[in-house]
Amino acid sequence: MRKAAVLGALLIIGAMLLFAIGKMPAMNSRNAPDKTHVIPRYLEKGEEEGGAKNIVTGVILNYRGYDTMGEVTVIFSALCAVVALLDREKRGLSRSSPDASGVRSSVIVRTVVRFAFPVIVFFAVAYMMLHGEGSPGGGFQGGAILGASVIVFTLAFGLPESTRRMPLKVRIPLESTAIVGFLAMGIIGLAYGVNFLTYLLPGVHGAMAQTVRNLMMTVIEVGIGIGGGVIFISIVFAMMREDKYELQPDVPQP
Amino acid sequence: MNFSRMFHNLNYVVSALLFLMGLYTVVVKPNLIKKLIGLNIMETSVFLFIVSIGMVEGGEAPIVAEGVKSSQMVNPIPQALILTGIVVAVSTTAVALSLCLKIHERYGTLNAAEILGRGEP
Repeated sequence: MRKAAVLGALLIIGAMLLFAIGKMPAMNSRNAPDKTHVIPRYLEKGEEEGGAKNIVTGVILNYRGYDTMGEVTVIFSALCAVVALLDREKRGLSRSSPDASGVRSSVIVRTVVRFAFPVIVFFAVAYMMLHGEGSPGGGFQGGAILGASVIVFTLAFGLPESTRRMPLKVRIPLESTAIVGFLAMGIIGLAYGVNFLTYLLPGVHGAMAQTVRNLMMTVIEVGIGIGGGVIFISIVFAMMREDKYELQPDVPQP
Repeated sequence: MNFSRMFHNLNYVVSALLFLMGLYTVVVKPNLIKKLIGLNIMETSVFLFIVSIGMVEGGEAPIVAEGVKSSQMVNPIPQALILTGIVVAVSTTAVALSLCLKIHERYGTLNAAEILGRGEP
């Protein structure tokens, strides 16, 4: 009964969506309204105005810089919410699944992870973050790969080993690098009397100004990458506490 | 309805289907984790939709390089928007999963109907 009602409602919504799709301009068309107004200017002048060969990076850090700063605040707030709900991982108390079941991951998994881990980290930092303005990549992407690499390591070797190599007191300052880097680069401009997040310094012209801007944008990208990655790592570590309710069930009957 | 137009906009149709699948999961499944998976499917459908809007026939990635004219590049704005969207989706999923952990700790179940005290749906 309930399922039938839901399916009926979904059919109506689907018909409305398909009707609207039938009215939309053809995909892939160069004359669609989304590509005719401001986009040609972004594509032509994006490198000059945005300061990066990768125009998406220019859009993220320049044209939409405030938006990206808000986004960095969002992931930082997410970490705050997770830590407020779950608390940090507790060393000695915490166990990840390989230890909780008493079974270690196999030699093959551990060996492959041991060889792949440095390569993944190198790819994330050197290619995605540092070279992200001239090739596919960027801070968030690098951060996601960095976080994923440590999560893979944790799944193979267990949480105690991971937290031993990445202790809380190292992670706490790194978690804020994204937002601190953003604010610092914005405020340097403000202190010299230009607008927030313009990445320009007065009195610096020509090629030097380009270098300064690239440097500031790279600082922000690496800050976003390290900060975002470490935030993901901390969130996952905070969630890995299976033993707490598997070994000591705290389940009041409702 | 113009069906040939719809065939050319196949990505939009697929994203609408994904959206409906996600909505169905969110509404019908009682398990909170499955509801979250449905929510993520809905988010993915929106990402597919918006990135597809920016596509261009035979387009290149919007990266300035030798031999790539700016008129050949795809629209960079949807990509930048969706990058933001993905990060926000990850953040909301993280918070929702930790709420699920807390709920499981308190009630010993993730079944929304049981938690509300209404038994099986």
